[in-house]
Amino acid sequence: MSTKAINPIVRARNLSKQFGATKALDAVNFEIEAGRIVGLIGPNGAGKTTALKAILGLTDFEGELSVLGFDPRTQRTQLMEQVCFIADVAVLPRWIRVSEAVEFVAGVHPRFSREKCNAFLAHTKIAPGMRVRELSKGMIVQLHLALVMAIDAKLLVLDEPTLGLDILYRKSFYESLLSDYFDEDKTIIVTTHQVEEVEHILTDLMFIRDGKIVLDATMDQVGERYAEVMVNPDKADAARALRPLNERQIFGKSIFLFDGADRTQLAQLGELHKPSIADLFVATMKGTYA
Amino acid sequence: MNTVWNDSTPIYRQLRDRVVAMILDGVIKQGDPLPSVRQVAGDFQINPITVSKAYQELVDENLVEKRRGLGMYVSDGARDALLKSERERFLHEEWPTLYARLGRLGLSLEQLIEAAKPGERQ
Repeated sequence: MSTKAINPIVRARNLSKQFGATKALDAVNFEIEAGRIVGLIGPNGAGKTTALKAILGLTDFEGELSVLGFDPRTQRTQLMEQVCFIADVAVLPRWIRVSEAVEFVAGVHPRFSREKCNAFLAHTKIAPGMRVRELSKGMIVQLHLALVMAIDAKLLVLDEPTLGLDILYRKSFYESLLSDYFDEDKTIIVTTHQVEEVEHILTDLMFIRDGKIVLDATMDQVGERYAEVMVNPDKADAARALRPLNERQIFGKSIFLFDGADRTQLAQLGELHKPSIADLFVATMKGTYA
Repeated sequence: MNTVWNDSTPIYRQLRDRVVAMILDGVIKQGDPLPSVRQVAGDFQINPITVSKAYQELVDENLVEKRRGLGMYVSDGARDALLKSERERFLHEEWPTLYARLGRLGLSLEQLIEAAKPGERQ
């Protein structure tokens, strides 16, 4: 982030992690402030999950990393009181009953509210006596979300939270998160390939590629920096001269994506739009698998 | 998913315009509360900062007032003030272009009124 916070929730300095010859994280620097919803977006194998694991103290790393003022390697217990995590893989044991899962978390987590959790579950079709193996994938995520939202944590980490869910569950997931959980004292880090569904939820955007952060900006900055222009063929060469990041064709017109170009100059070429995260992502990651 | 928003205007601005339209149409009346920031953020799946920014615009325009601990309420006189400013905006921004176009098309006032009568459109 360009504005440096005094007490960022997460601060990474030269964060590196190597698997054999592969650099999963290559001297990465970033800061995350409180009250933000940060999207960590990258192709498969870019280092997203490694970065999240480092933040959660689930993997060793080189460099400096401070999460809520703690070192995730040595102060994991203190850290876990303030951090929650939903992974793309189901971690709830299949034999456990819903009521037992609630009791378990109430027993181990000092900041868990049984009332909040049950109130949230009351809005779902999940009954206390059901076992996890009887629940659908969407219901398991609901249960997981209920357990996590009932914890008064400062940082929530979501790794592909809506993977494999249908549209109804996906929509209600983010709806609950925004209306029942998030406030300015909380911070959310989310990784997802479903960028369209978090597009307007995010306050900050980070692109990661080959272990490096290639974009780190607030959504406002993204809107100011990048612009898409739809250009008629007669002006296409003039647009190319301004060195666009990307060019694609649609209905006989060219759509150019510019980074930091002068808006009045661009407006003479055609209609200006704010690019979607997906378009920005495709342009930034060009050649990743080539 | 993004059918509700266009990508040429910031979303907070579009949200502000929606609230303005609701006040003009009388959907929300003077003294009525606006839905909470959380509610709107959840309903539209947009971040709360965007909602707050839209509401702040409305506060700056004196259309909405913040009541401590209660939330946002439509100010007294909001609709009248809006009607006034929207009429001004129409007369100064939209009407000159429209008027010029009517001149180019050679349409008379009578023809326009006739065309606008209900049930008589061809």
